[in-house]
Amino acid sequence: MSKQYWKDYQSAVADDNYYYERSCIRQSFFTGSEEIFLKIVKDILKKDIVDDMNLHTCSGIGYYSGVVPLDTTMTVVARLFALMTEAGYKNFVPSCITSFGLVNEMVDMWHHFPEKLEEIKGYLKEATGKDFKMPENIAHPCDIIYKNRKALKDKMKYSLTNVRTGKPLKVVEHIGCHYAKIFPRHVKGGAEFPQVLVGMIEEWGGEVVDYPERRHCCGFGFSQYLVLANRGYSAANSKKKFESMQPFKPDFILTNCPGCNMFMDRWQYTIAETEGITYDDEKRGIPVLTYEELTGLLLGYNPWDLGLQVHQVQVEPLLEKMGIEYNPKDKYVGKTGKQLTEPEKPMNLKV
Amino acid sequence: MNCGVCTAICPAAEFYDYDPRDICNVLMSKDEEKIEDLLKGDKIWHCGQCLSCKTRCPRGNVPGLLVSLLREVSIRVGLFTESEEGRRQYAIKKTLGENIINSGYCVHVMHVKPHLHPEQGPVWKWYFDNAEEVADRQGGNYNKEGSGALRKINDVNLKDLRKIFEVTGGKDFYDHIDKLSKVKAVQLKKNITDNIDDNEYFYHVYRDKSQKQ
Amino acid sequence: MKKTDVIIIGGGPAGIEAAYDLARNDVQVFLFEKEDELFGHMNIAATLFPNFQDASEIRSLLLQKTKHNNIKIFKNTGVAKVHKDDKDWHVQTEKGEEYTAKAVLLASGFKTFDAKYKEELGYGIYKGVITSVEFEEMYKEGKILTPYEKKPQRIAFLNCVGSRDEKVGNHYCSRVCCINAVKLSIEAKKLLPDVEAYCFYMDIRMSGQFYEELYRKSQEDYNVNYIRGRISEVSPTIDNRLQIKCEDTLSQTPLKMSVDLLVLMIGIEASEGTSMIAKQVGINGEYSFAKSLSLHSADNKTKNEGFFLAGTCKRPLTMPETMADARAAALEIGYYLKGVPE
Repeated sequence: MSKQYWKDYQSAVADDNYYYERSCIRQSFFTGSEEIFLKIVKDILKKDIVDDMNLHTCSGIGYYSGVVPLDTTMTVVARLFALMTEAGYKNFVPSCITSFGLVNEMVDMWHHFPEKLEEIKGYLKEATGKDFKMPENIAHPCDIIYKNRKALKDKMKYSLTNVRTGKPLKVVEHIGCHYAKIFPRHVKGGAEFPQVLVGMIEEWGGEVVDYPERRHCCGFGFSQYLVLANRGYSAANSKKKFESMQPFKPDFILTNCPGCNMFMDRWQYTIAETEGITYDDEKRGIPVLTYEELTGLLLGYNPWDLGLQVHQVQVEPLLEKMGIEYNPKDKYVGKTGKQLTEPEKPMNLKV
Repeated sequence: MNCGVCTAICPAAEFYDYDPRDICNVLMSKDEEKIEDLLKGDKIWHCGQCLSCKTRCPRGNVPGLLVSLLREVSIRVGLFTESEEGRRQYAIKKTLGENIINSGYCVHVMHVKPHLHPEQGPVWKWYFDNAEEVADRQGGNYNKEGSGALRKINDVNLKDLRKIFEVTGGKDFYDHIDKLSKVKAVQLKKNITDNIDDNEYFYHVYRDKSQKQ
Repeated sequence: MKKTDVIIIGGGPAGIEAAYDLARNDVQVFLFEKEDELFGHMNIAATLFPNFQDASEIRSLLLQKTKHNNIKIFKNTGVAKVHKDDKDWHVQTEKGEEYTAKAVLLASGFKTFDAKYKEELGYGIYKGVITSVEFEEMYKEGKILTPYEKKPQRIAFLNCVGSRDEKVGNHYCSRVCCINAVKLSIEAKKLLPDVEAYCFYMDIRMSGQFYEELYRKSQEDYNVNYIRGRISEVSPTIDNRLQIKCEDTLSQTPLKMSVDLLVLMIGIEASEGTSMIAKQVGINGEYSFAKSLSLHSADNKTKNEGFFLAGTCKRPLTMPETMADARAAALEIGYYLKGVPE
């Protein structure tokens, strides 16, 4: 490996004609995020992006948890590429960070071991009758938002400013491990100073907070979270991050990985309920937003259409800080217009 | 080189009796007995696959991926049931693993049952209980045909996915985990069934943690 | 007069020592130095390991040597091109002037590793992360202070920055950083007896005479602490210190601590001049260092007749090794000029 300055690492992001792969976790925990991303790309950025109903999981979580063997995962990924090829697209855009890391890892392995690629082609043909081509570009949706952040800023109604004080909001940005750590040289800023969320925050008026455990994993740990017995590991890692960021008093946390977003939201609840500790001054927790939710909010979309009601750490204090209007009566309304009964309130975490 | 930059930033090394540097040492030693101990022990199951180790190693090693390999070997040669942590793979297979084949999702709202996930909180329970209304409000297509978030993945695609598992040995791997877990369940005198709900062995490997850690 | 016996490229210790030995053997020498000052990296040192020899005394000695009648010094004269015709070597300076000599000695030395390539250590990003060169300069001024002008409570020294590291393309060991770190830690304790000094290492390579004794002295007399683990990352803390993470590999646990100053022991690389000229004359070796004809039996000669090497343009070396190498080069060149057979 030769020397290269981290500032020179670049992510290659295609301009248009995106083939979107949905994320199991993002769909489940942040349903609105995927929808707003598609809307932004189609209606605002006026690009072509396709949401193919034939797609399924990439099996990445199964692979990293050690229950799905390598050959199987590779062939599953190959099917995704085959569907993309059949749909006439070349630019693969996985919504999930695990998926992003996984497909890059698989493509890299096939590059170094062409005989493996032939083997997988054989499996895919045998199982499904399909052939596949490698994508020309693999970019994460956050890279697409980053690339267009200036164009989006022009359309934004709000900015990352505290309307009461006039000062920029302080934002902790958290990057999913599988985004930057697997191939740091293919990510702008590398694994140490990834720029994708920093760029969004700074462009949209906020201030990035650096703190000692910035690069630390949120603690998902795949097999560690999936079994109840080991969930303490997952919580402990997030707790480490919260303790580290607390003195800097961030206004919210921004993530690009849906798993990280979910964990950093839920572990604040768990820690509040089991230990009585919260990491902000008002016992309400630090809101955790996906970059899609943030983009949507700043563009003026209804927070409850974006799915912010599904967050355990309530976002209203943040919305008020930003001067964003919201209708509390609309929060728990369903698709059919039905007013649903509200969720129970936790004992300690203020809702 | 034993420099320790991997262990320095390993989240698992902080919270568990786990040292990625040491795992690499054992592998380098080619000492079959020590390697067998690894395959039989808890250590290799502590890694969280964050791959922070990959970014730093001055020799270009990746302890995290080596651990993945050891896990697959441990399962294939049947040693995973010898350790408390290794046995938990059964729980993962029964939940996540079967989700993949049954629904085409690793994780879907309907799988994250609040009683199995109390840490998800009351708002999650509310979402789970009102899934279609809340998901579709956000633009989803909850468990219905067609495209959209949380849609039902149709049988054509599920058929392909299941065939892939058969052809590549994924299904065999799953069955292997089941088979060996059944043997272990008998040894531990715990009831084991094909589903989850009345499966004593499942709840044991999913929930119970002995004090030694 | 543009013609001489020997042109020496580089006015550091190797170049000067070789020039002097040639000069007192009746050889005419032109010495080209691209900077305004002679002595190269010797200018940085306050003291030399392992015996804390005063570096300025060595510089004075070298200065005296440059005054020999047979040596003509050209400062601010970088070399742009070197080539040979049938008979002689021709050296063109950056200013465009051409000089001729029967033999050329490359003594163009080294440069230090640019620590910005290890961004996880925060050099150039977080205040308080400095290089060994910058630390020595602080010591020379007699002032070791944190970036906030306070007395540091804890200083950490990290070995192998830019060396033994595939990630930056330098697999090799830079030879001098281990002993230098021991020296710097003692310097820190001499100036600030109450400061806590920690050296983070993978190995303590005490491979010279009196090195091991100095290492022991640093522990017994100066209470320097040694931790076997390479620092993996540096982060800023709320109280303006630096948080470092490593593994204490001897006790097999991850370790985290806050320090006020982190001194990076940056490695040795081939200088720009070395790599450029070595490439021009076809003797560029591994990592762009200049390659000698034979490591064990002809280490000052090259495959080019009349082209010789001395000093750290070949590899990382200590001062005594450099000086000895320069004298050997002078001897070899002397034989060449006189036509003495092998």
